[in-house]
Amino acid sequence: MVKGRLWSFISVFLVVMLAGASFAFAEEKVYINGIDANFPPFAYVDKNGVPDGFDVKSVDWIAKEMGFKVTHKPMDWDGIIPSLKAKKIDMIASGMSITEKRQEQVNFTIPYWIISQVLVAPKDCSISVDEILSNGNKVGVQRGTTEAKWMEENLIQKAKKDFSLVHYDSAPLAVEDVVNGRIVAAAMDDAPAKDAVRKKPVKILGTFGMAEENFGYAVRKEDKKLLDMLNQGLKRLMASPYWEELKKKYELD
Amino acid sequence: MIQSLTAIADALPYMLRGALVTIGLVAGAMGLGLVLGVTFAVGQVYGNVYIRSLVKIYVWFFRGVPLLVLLFLFYFGLFSLLEINLSAFTVAVIVLGLITSAYQSQIFRGAILSLPEGQLKAARAIGMSDVKAIIFIVLPQALRLSVPGWSNEYSIVLKDSAVAYALGVTEIMARAHFVASRTYEHLPLYFSAGVLFMIITYLGTKALKILEERVKIPGYS
Repeated sequence: MVKGRLWSFISVFLVVMLAGASFAFAEEKVYINGIDANFPPFAYVDKNGVPDGFDVKSVDWIAKEMGFKVTHKPMDWDGIIPSLKAKKIDMIASGMSITEKRQEQVNFTIPYWIISQVLVAPKDCSISVDEILSNGNKVGVQRGTTEAKWMEENLIQKAKKDFSLVHYDSAPLAVEDVVNGRIVAAAMDDAPAKDAVRKKPVKILGTFGMAEENFGYAVRKEDKKLLDMLNQGLKRLMASPYWEELKKKYELD
Repeated sequence: MIQSLTAIADALPYMLRGALVTIGLVAGAMGLGLVLGVTFAVGQVYGNVYIRSLVKIYVWFFRGVPLLVLLFLFYFGLFSLLEINLSAFTVAVIVLGLITSAYQSQIFRGAILSLPEGQLKAARAIGMSDVKAIIFIVLPQALRLSVPGWSNEYSIVLKDSAVAYALGVTEIMARAHFVASRTYEHLPLYFSAGVLFMIITYLGTKALKILEERVKIPGYS
């Protein structure tokens, strides 16, 4: 009797384990778009846990227009290109800047958004951008972003500016630490910076000398078909009135 | 204050679904760890010198490498290299399961060694084979004695499972982080993530406590 209970206890765990595994294997054949859900207003999860944002809605429109299926998978930004190359996801439409270095690894669609990098500081901050990037100050950045790389190479190594970078998991965490006072400012894309200004006592201090960048969707080098579909779809989307609607909806103007 | 409470209330259904993912991770890992752990424990106690050293090396490796390192090693490294396309959830279950199997094997080993040696001799004396004696005499007792240690291991694996967030598994922690990015309500959200973990730990250890009482060997102390 007692033995029976023990075995039922063991088998319950086995069943749960198998159920979990089969749940993980049963993947439908749809394109998976990997997003950094910590990147409002381009990509985030809404109140019900559903992926939302400017990029998410754009891709949904393109998928419908071009006749393919797509799901959005929130994941860590750090590992998003390795995940694409390892076929865990099929595309990245999540505010990714087109850079030469990244182009060695993946293919990008046509640019769809121009972004500039800005410094975000506390609302009552009275010092200039130059003063922030000196005096041994600490400046926050999101790990694995173009601004993190650019500041390290150009401002710290080449221009020998006297400040240091603090790396965060996401831009909102860097903003949180600006408010906490652990860092004097955070460097980030202007669109999420505006989002932060609406929600936290911070302000945009201005740009810091980094050139403007273009956002594009990334796909694997060999996925020519998907790239064509996305390029076509983007062109149609940007020519449609829905594009303006999206911009208004996500307060990107 | 009211804003914080609203943030928690809004995020709760989403986080609770994350709790199911966490429970799936832990159940899968503990199940895998149980099967492998018992096998390794038997191997380490009764196996020949090769099996014994193999188990020792296995335990040494999985106890010595941090979980985060193993997750990245398996997900981006090993499985990608072998072109095995597993989801982040599956990889997290496998890695957590392999690690806990190393710890669990030591729990079961201790339990097996605590049994009087005479039992095995007596079993042989009445004509049982070694395999039979291990399955029907040793393991039923050892597993019961292992419940307290196993319960402890459960709470450790549960808390470790939060690290799976780094692979993009949308468990409790990842979800708290996503919602915080949208709402900038970091404190209430991480707080609720902590409370959720506490509740799951409590319920699990409570259930295992009941199991421990139920399967207690009468008169055996």
